[in-house]
Amino acid sequence: MSAGAGPERFFLAAIAALAACSQRGGDPSRQYGPDPYLPEPHQYLLPPMSVPKAVGWKPGEAPSVPAGLRIQAMATGLMHPRIVYPLPNGDVLVIESNSPGTKPFRPKDYIQGKVKARAGAAAKGGNRITLLRDANGDGVPELRTVLIDHLHSPYGVAWVAGTLYVANTDAILAFPFVPGQTKITAPGVKLTDLPAGPIDHHWTKSMVASPDGSKLYVGVGSNSNITENGMDVEEGRAAIYEVDRLTGAKRIYASGTRNPTNLAIQPGTGTLFAVVNERDEIGPDLVPDYLTSIRNGGFYGWPYSYWGQHVDVRVHPQNPAMVAKAIKPDYGLSSHVAALGLTFSQGETLSPKFASGVFVGEHGSWDRSPLNGYQVIFVPFANGRPSGMPIPVVTDFLAADHKTVRGRPVGVALDRTGALIVADDVGNVVWRVSAATGR
Amino acid sequence: METASTAAPRQFHPFFISFGGALLMAALFTDYMYSSNALMQWANFSAWLITGGLVLALVSVIVLGVDFALGRAGRIRWLDFALLAAAVLLSLMNVFVHTRDAWTSVVPTGITLSLIVAILLLIVGLRGWAVTEMKVAERSSKQ
Repeated sequence: MSAGAGPERFFLAAIAALAACSQRGGDPSRQYGPDPYLPEPHQYLLPPMSVPKAVGWKPGEAPSVPAGLRIQAMATGLMHPRIVYPLPNGDVLVIESNSPGTKPFRPKDYIQGKVKARAGAAAKGGNRITLLRDANGDGVPELRTVLIDHLHSPYGVAWVAGTLYVANTDAILAFPFVPGQTKITAPGVKLTDLPAGPIDHHWTKSMVASPDGSKLYVGVGSNSNITENGMDVEEGRAAIYEVDRLTGAKRIYASGTRNPTNLAIQPGTGTLFAVVNERDEIGPDLVPDYLTSIRNGGFYGWPYSYWGQHVDVRVHPQNPAMVAKAIKPDYGLSSHVAALGLTFSQGETLSPKFASGVFVGEHGSWDRSPLNGYQVIFVPFANGRPSGMPIPVVTDFLAADHKTVRGRPVGVALDRTGALIVADDVGNVVWRVSAATGR
Repeated sequence: METASTAAPRQFHPFFISFGGALLMAALFTDYMYSSNALMQWANFSAWLITGGLVLALVSVIVLGVDFALGRAGRIRWLDFALLAAAVLLSLMNVFVHTRDAWTSVVPTGITLSLIVAILLLIVGLRGWAVTEMKVAERSSKQ
């Protein structure tokens, strides 16, 4: 991203100065776990924020990992990679994508556009899926090829029974595909439509297949922060859908999940888990993003309330009946971390510490000062539930002074060798974290 | 030139003040509509109207300067100036209140500010949308 021109820079500095007048966020560790600290909500003239400038990685630079692990760039120069998806044969799919673009409603929307661009979130997405083949597992792909091109803001993918399902922002497409193939030329067949434009505020459609492969679960984000685009455009949004893989018939499996940015199935139990990004602009420590198991038919509060029965006064008309139904999520990830990636560990492939739990890619946001997120963490599980403090795994995306950001982690996955693969949509890199002793 | 009776020199800033004032006063109406029907588009209108009013406030200041520079303006009327300055400062606050999301972008603070601004502007409007005295027509006998 290039620096803003003179007046624009002055303008952003003025905003930053105004924002600095408002409250600063506290220690994020108070907001991890099942009962996060929740301060009183505030209404601001200008909500707390800080906007690091996206600068990318210089040659040789990389995020930090704990002792015993090593990190390498598996692919660079990508176009806004968001999701990584390993196939059974070891090939890794990289979904390169960004928002289809939204039209401004209010003067505020123009300013938010500038802020996003500075933070590196406005770069054009590739609208394609790149395939990386690393047959010998050394983290250096021998082959890199565009598997599918000309998609429409794709995000989630799932390979089931000889078919690659791709969740574009507006529909799930099905492509016949056998792992080993390096190019798909056949046009995709539409399985079902997904809620999309004309606003499409939270555009990503996360997706995971059920353990038996008969269903696809699809996360659909809300069409606003907190209903400021109107209640009518929220019909069918902020929900997790269950789609029948063969017929395309779909139903809302769970709702009130503001932005369910990623889904994963717990090995063994088959339980669906989600990371959900919560609402902004009521304080630096509100509302914690969360990791939770998803109950069939469950309602998780958005827009009426958060973390159970904490009512959001910005929603009108209010709905006490829905507030009463709202389920408290399992585990707070602290506020404004923008959790976008989620994958279960598969035993001690990286370290004994990571035997049972989930890796969470925290993209980071600008809705808080000091900034929070901008790392990949590991949340340990005990007895099948998230339990205990998270462990930072991949860090230093953000410069120490919080003024610049070199990369922002998004999707995470474990490859065939058990190495952790991380998509970085500001550095335009796919990182691979492996055990240092492994090779 | 022969000796002539000239009309009072025309000053331009009242037009811009009245234009901006009308936008800011209209925001009270759109705020009221949103508070009664909760349809977001009315609140969006308010945000645009207040932004437009503030842009015209800036233009008015520039034009007022031009009026002074060209000797079109008479003595400044401090009461009108103070009322307008208060309306602009409150509107500046109001435009930030209107950047909040959904209900609290209007109710209760936003619509209250819009009401106060509308009252201030009503007074300024009834007093002629000007912050200076009109220069009286003067008879010149020179040249």
